[in-house]
Amino acid sequence: MNVIEFTEITKVFRGKKGFIVNALKSMSLQVAKGEVFGFLGPNGAGKSTAIKILLGLIRSTAGSARIMGVDVNECSARLSVGYLPENPSFYDFLTGEEYLRFVGRSFGMDPSLLNSAGDRILRRLDLWEARKRPIRGYSKGMVQRLGLAQTLIHDPAVYILDEPMSGLDPIGRALVKEIIRELKELGKTVFFSTHITADVEAVCDRVGVINKGTLLTVDTVASILQRGVEGYVVQRFLPDGTTDRQLVPKSDLHTFIEQSIASRWSIERIEPKRKDIEAFFLDIVAVEQRHETQG
Amino acid sequence: MANLISINLLAIFRDKVFHGILAIAVIFLLIPSISSLSMRQVTELSITLSLSLLSVILLLLSVSLGATSLWKDIERRYTYSVLSLPMERSAYLIGKFIAIALFLLLTALVLGAVTCLVVWLSSGIYPPERPILWSALILCVIFSALKYIVLIAYSFLFSTVSTSFFLPVFGTISVFMAGNATQQVYDYVHSPAAKALSPLLKHAASFFYYLLPNFSAFDLQINAIYAIPLSLKGVALPFIYFCIYTPLLIVVAAIIFARREMK
Repeated sequence: MNVIEFTEITKVFRGKKGFIVNALKSMSLQVAKGEVFGFLGPNGAGKSTAIKILLGLIRSTAGSARIMGVDVNECSARLSVGYLPENPSFYDFLTGEEYLRFVGRSFGMDPSLLNSAGDRILRRLDLWEARKRPIRGYSKGMVQRLGLAQTLIHDPAVYILDEPMSGLDPIGRALVKEIIRELKELGKTVFFSTHITADVEAVCDRVGVINKGTLLTVDTVASILQRGVEGYVVQRFLPDGTTDRQLVPKSDLHTFIEQSIASRWSIERIEPKRKDIEAFFLDIVAVEQRHETQG
Repeated sequence: MANLISINLLAIFRDKVFHGILAIAVIFLLIPSISSLSMRQVTELSITLSLSLLSVILLLLSVSLGATSLWKDIERRYTYSVLSLPMERSAYLIGKFIAIALFLLLTALVLGAVTCLVVWLSSGIYPPERPILWSALILCVIFSALKYIVLIAYSFLFSTVSTSFFLPVFGTISVFMAGNATQQVYDYVHSPAAKALSPLLKHAASFFYYLLPNFSAFDLQINAIYAIPLSLKGVALPFIYFCIYTPLLIVVAAIIFARREMK
């Protein structure tokens, strides 16, 4: 079952002076249950526009989008969603604890369940000490963590996170990645946007690359990494203690190992040398730009 | 809805602007002394001053809360987090409006009680020639609150179409001024004195008379000051007018807001 579904989504923004921005160009995309999907693209690619359409904050010009089979223009589509906006901003006159209660009540949570879930999540996100302080006194990282807390409070099936790691220090980033991994283990679906390729590599099952409103590719992270293998670094040694380290092309690995064994070399280590997601992303964007230039 | 109303009430009570405006209420304490300077009609003057001060405070609250509340939520990007919760936009807007309207009504009742105390003190020192009509005084306070609730509905309507605070703030102030003049303009253009006016101008005046609010209908100050008994019709008609006009404004505002893009 597809938990998130974009069908031929197009979004055109019309400026006051008549200029037109094609923020999304007939984008179709499906995210399955239990998947962690990374929506990767440079700034201004259309990631946040797609997410805002999912949340009913803006309407698509054409096409449709669904969450758990419910049209996103219906308020009930958001019942199963926890959403973290980009650079989140919450009612700053409330304390962190009050804000979580407000969100929980909006989802119709039972008060006793809300209290226990609120306490647990505040502790998990290291906001327990600050829970009674007004949000206006929180640091950027604390607000980001509160944003994550309010997505977790009602234990939704779907998490939509817009740049969840932005503004966080390395500890905060590690915490977010850990939480995303935990959500995956619980069978939750996570759809998150980012322009940081390392985040995708660390936690995603699949990745979609978007640039200038066009979804350029969708693939599994494992497959991208496998395809990106350019060769192997083989470390070997002889009985007399001589060591050797060589870069072997992908196609020659078998032959190289057989020859090494025949020559009494012992293989100590074989490490794949591959392009990372960043190289993959840059290649795709570069190809797209070449097409545009030629066109 | 109750969740939204309570959170918005909390926002008002924790707002520093509200604290500042309420500080103006301290002026009430000076009214008996200032009124006594007139040497005659001391009670009438204290009623006038008290009701005028109450009106000014309610106006300031209407503009500061009504015209900036929605704009602030959009400007500070609170709307992204709140409107992504499973609630209709109309519920968000109406919840906000009800909270501000309730708060205004509560403020009017508290300041109304202070007004009664001030008038009672003044009348004790300098007894009035006519007995005070307390019912008219209380009704005057309530209708004053209703008038400003209509104004808040207008400020919400402006906020739903505007991307800055200029239209909500200055539009609300303009409606306030126009609303206080519509009855007089209507009476004038339909009087023999306005015979020379073109029919087009008269039709335009009539059109705006029905379109813009008529705040004169809510003005019961004369009855309160000079203890003139109120007729049932004089109270019922403005109340019915309020009950029809305000929801109409809010429905239009909700329709516009539901279509607004949160870019």
